[in-house]
Amino acid sequence: MRLALLFLLLLVLGPALGEYGLKLASEALILGLYAMAFNLLFHQAGLLSFGQAAFFGVGAYAMALLVSRAGWPFLATLPAALLASALAALVIGFLSIRLSRIYFTMLTLAFAQLLYAVAHKWYAFTGGDNGITDLRPSGLLGESLPFYYLTLGVFALVVGFLAGLARSPFGYALRGLRDNRARAESTGIDGFRHLLLAFVVSGAISGLAGALQGALQRSVFPDYLFWTRSAEAIISTILGGSGTFLGPAVGGAVFLFLRVLVQAKTEYWPFFLGLLLLLMVLFFPRGLGGIFTEAGRRWSTGVWGGAARG
Amino acid sequence: MDLGFLLLQLLTGLAYASTLFLLSVGLSLIFGAMGIVNFAHGSFYMLGAYLLYAFTRGQAEAFWQGLLWVMAAGLVIGTLVERVLIRPIYRRPEEYQILLTYAILLLLEDLVRFLFGAGYRSFPFPPAFSSPLLLLGTAFPSYYVFLLGLAAAFAFLLWAFLHRTRLGTWVRAATQDREMLEALGINVPLLYTAIFGLGIAMAAIGGAALLPLQAATPGMAVDAVINAFIVVVIGGLGSVWGALLGAVLIGLLQAFGILLFPEMAMAFPFALMVLVLLLRPWGLLGRPPAVRT
Repeated sequence: MRLALLFLLLLVLGPALGEYGLKLASEALILGLYAMAFNLLFHQAGLLSFGQAAFFGVGAYAMALLVSRAGWPFLATLPAALLASALAALVIGFLSIRLSRIYFTMLTLAFAQLLYAVAHKWYAFTGGDNGITDLRPSGLLGESLPFYYLTLGVFALVVGFLAGLARSPFGYALRGLRDNRARAESTGIDGFRHLLLAFVVSGAISGLAGALQGALQRSVFPDYLFWTRSAEAIISTILGGSGTFLGPAVGGAVFLFLRVLVQAKTEYWPFFLGLLLLLMVLFFPRGLGGIFTEAGRRWSTGVWGGAARG
Repeated sequence: MDLGFLLLQLLTGLAYASTLFLLSVGLSLIFGAMGIVNFAHGSFYMLGAYLLYAFTRGQAEAFWQGLLWVMAAGLVIGTLVERVLIRPIYRRPEEYQILLTYAILLLLEDLVRFLFGAGYRSFPFPPAFSSPLLLLGTAFPSYYVFLLGLAAAFAFLLWAFLHRTRLGTWVRAATQDREMLEALGINVPLLYTAIFGLGIAMAAIGGAALLPLQAATPGMAVDAVINAFIVVVIGGLGSVWGALLGAVLIGLLQAFGILLFPEMAMAFPFALMVLVLLLRPWGLLGRPPAVRT
């Protein structure tokens, strides 16, 4: 219900946003999609992927190549991007999920960087570091407002899907595997297949986000696949709070708006972001979601003092 | 392709491997002993290059003192960073370690950009190594010899430290079983500070030693840290000799890969990293993790 109200608000807000605001809002929704895809793996399945950029990039390149080389209409490339990144996630996940903890994280990082290196140098196919440009979607979707509504629609669909997934037996099985794999498997849950499916779903959503981002930016470059892009998913998620359902999306939006605010004043945005991350990790490890939950708890109990930090 | 040319490529690869070893070995020790995933490691390599430039004011004659200053500064900075920033996150999950060290990476990158500007900073060969050497009719920078010697000296010193001193034995013990070490009354936090400081100092030396060959930019850290992770994963997280082997493999792969398949040379190290993780996740010279119940 609260979700529906939020979407209604975002829907009505559209025409009031203006050209620049629409672009920014679309980008925030896309980053939200991407971060929530990461958090499906991270929070539900307990897998820390450092290669989420691989699927973001594969989706973006699938869209870009189909639009620029095969002349597909943009909208038709979205299912293709979803499929391509799901396929990439199937292969990478199949090989990575066998590894435990840090080795899993390192292998996902290695795969994403491998794709980055290939995209960076394979000029004949991907355009190398020149990227693929001139990707304005034809027709109405080339305008900012319709594109914003498309992004909002995709975001709403995915959020609804993820909310359903979290409450489904599949979601319970994932959290069971996260908390105690041996115990979950002894109840008959096939750990590998569940985690692989979660990996593929997460990859597919990331790919969708990548395709939308490429269309929004009108271009796709190898840095869509670079490891700092994977770090952005982690930053958004922890900033917003991984334990709160919409936390990663809120974190992504806050991340973007802060960037715009800071970049208007100074060129040293990375320094500011570094400082923010440092303070967050050291003092507010549960992110904005944690701060609000805590504030809400204190509001209802009326206790504001005490040693705990809010 | 004549023999002299192949030899030149071999030496180029080994010279690159030397700096790669200095960069990576600290990362390996820090992960192996402390369990910290340090994404800021490449930033101290970058910082080392800039510090050399700052200490010498770009004067080739001051290279040797500069190198010593960089080592001292690396020790101090590493110790401080461990005490103030890393210590609070030892028992926190990996994602917080990644974010915190990534934050350090961002801070240092912008700090250097603020102090030195975004452009390239280069440095001449030090006077003793300014003229090229001739070998099989091919000229190559004599500075390569210095790099090889530097890496060999550090590898030997590190081996002697780890295997011939009490402190080194504790470091090795920390990679095996921290709790046991604590139970024996060893001051493990102090040991961690020492390991981190040492690792950072070596990375800084590596970056400084690379400067005469390759100009420094604030953005070099994001690539350096990934190269370091490749080397360390291939060699085995926590293994010193693994870092050496990994560095030599990646150095040669780069030097010869670019000759044979210029288009794909950039992808080779990652492909090798993937392959090692699939076949032997604990690395070529690492130990399979003990089964904990």
